[in-house]
Amino acid sequence: MELLWFALFAVLLAGYFALEGFDLGVGLLLPVLGRTVERRDRMVAAIAPFVLANEVWLVAVAGTLFGVYPMLEGEVLFGLYPLVVAMLLAWVVRDAGLWFRRRVGGPGWRRFWDALIALGSLWLSAGWGMALYGAATGFTSSPMHPVGLLLGVVVTLLFAFHGWTFLGWRDPALTGAARSGRVLALTGAVAALPALGLLAGAMGYLLDHSAPPATLNVLSLMVLPFAPLMVAAQVWVWRTFRPGKGADRIPSFF
Amino acid sequence: MDVLDLARTQFAVTGSLHFLFVLLTLGLAPLVAIMHTRWARTGLPLHERMTRFWGQIYLINYALGIVTGLVMEFQFGLAWSGLSHYAGDVFGAPLAMETLVAFFLESTFLGLWIFGWGRLPKWAHVACIWMVTATAYGSAFFILTANAFLQNPAGAVLSGGRLELTDFGALLTNDALVYAFPHVLGAGLFTGGMVLVGASAYQLRRRTAEVEFFTRSMKTGVITAAIGITVTVMFGYAQFAVGIQPGKFSGNAAAAVPLGFMVEGGHLFSLIVLFFMLPCIRLLPRWRWAHPLLIALTPLPFVLAVLGWLAREIGRQPWMIWERLTVADALTPGLTSGMVTASLAGFTAVLGLLAVVDYVLIARIIRRGPGDDLSLGAAGERRAPALTY
Repeated sequence: MELLWFALFAVLLAGYFALEGFDLGVGLLLPVLGRTVERRDRMVAAIAPFVLANEVWLVAVAGTLFGVYPMLEGEVLFGLYPLVVAMLLAWVVRDAGLWFRRRVGGPGWRRFWDALIALGSLWLSAGWGMALYGAATGFTSSPMHPVGLLLGVVVTLLFAFHGWTFLGWRDPALTGAARSGRVLALTGAVAALPALGLLAGAMGYLLDHSAPPATLNVLSLMVLPFAPLMVAAQVWVWRTFRPGKGADRIPSFF
Repeated sequence: MDVLDLARTQFAVTGSLHFLFVLLTLGLAPLVAIMHTRWARTGLPLHERMTRFWGQIYLINYALGIVTGLVMEFQFGLAWSGLSHYAGDVFGAPLAMETLVAFFLESTFLGLWIFGWGRLPKWAHVACIWMVTATAYGSAFFILTANAFLQNPAGAVLSGGRLELTDFGALLTNDALVYAFPHVLGAGLFTGGMVLVGASAYQLRRRTAEVEFFTRSMKTGVITAAIGITVTVMFGYAQFAVGIQPGKFSGNAAAAVPLGFMVEGGHLFSLIVLFFMLPCIRLLPRWRWAHPLLIALTPLPFVLAVLGWLAREIGRQPWMIWERLTVADALTPGLTSGMVTASLAGFTAVLGLLAVVDYVLIARIIRRGPGDDLSLGAAGERRAPALTY
């Protein structure tokens, strides 16, 4: 049972990196590839239908952390207190940018929120690299350690590359290079590598600190029946918004 | 303020802010779902426009519900790790259910609903908004399950210095949950109804050209508010009858005062809604003299809801888990005033500013009415491929 929940936890965290990775990547690329409002609209429209379905993977990671690893939840979040607060604020600002950018017509308004999307994406991507480093050292070393900062740069670059591939898959005119779904899956896997590395290293520790069997049984009984519905809903998102079905159609809500 | 007061203030500020938006989400979601269903059945443009207009308001409100909710989820681990150490095996289960199942599905289906306009088959699209509503109610259920456990720790025993889950059924049938859950849902419907009434009154007062649109919306709002306030008051009183947490309000003025205001406000509202608004439902849209009153009432349900939470949570003090774990013991060891001051300032400033922007945007949509500039469900035009370089 501990193994099953570890696998689920790993899938959720790696899935977050592979999926939200391209949303953050496209956010990072906004100032680079989106010099005009029209291009930025198209870039945001490309990720828009996926963002809500992607970012929620991290919400699920945190919930699993609380339910399955209650003894570690506080340790992890408190161990990285200033970083977690900063990353939360970055996430909030990025989301607010997406929800607000088209609510008022003026170009200045949209430029402002687009800048916040890019800034929030950058902050959050770099934060992930530092957080992974902090967690890998058991919170004994500051995430601002040069290696932590370097990992922040690496994760940011991986997400940006993944975002670029995503645009090439969904709206190739934006990058000038079409990418297949297979390549997108591959860059997703690469974007998830840092998270998978940490999970592999922490596997034994996590298994030892799982909640007692009674709690895990209840969680399994409550969660597993919904798993097919959750998978189906995610698959439905990808089927509905795959390229060729009006992916180049704007406006979108975001 | 010491670190404990700061951490409590942080939770109170972010929690109250979160609930303001969640409350309206819970009220508007079923209303938008009903409007969308009507549109799918009749195909009438009026129903489509109602779905898009109120749907757009629902979504703008939803944005702040999400971002404040993110902060709430992580705050447990940041500031209150003593809670997960002592009771995580019990308290974590409903919280995991909320995030892992209910909100996961809600967010996924919401994305499908927002961006599926003109892409999804008609009834599949309607099903999405109903799934969003159902999972939002599911989220509310699990969050209240977790909160009810703090009020009345049923279904767990102490073993080796930590609480252990023995009876999940008892967690879900907690006396502190079964009446509070309908109470909160009723309050949501009441608030959603009053927002429809207030916004419609504003437009009708200004002699809008959209008379039919806002007359209908006002009637829907009055009926919803009447159902909502009845459920809220009934289940509000039922909570006093279950006999848990003796002395919660007797010696605690900080909890008794908000409770008193909430109860009196609720009474006054039930009189206004059930004995004035509901009987006069046909005349109300034409009674322009009554519209300023209806507009003025709109913010009050939000105030009452926050008062209700203050009463429930301050009444729990000094306990985090009633008569088991104190709030002071639940605080993360090693937390310093500097850390909480910085995060409190950051969360309050960012979320506070965003909340103000959000309400201004909602007010703006209401002022403009259901014109052509709604983004939700706008017909997508095909543009020429962007120039590559």
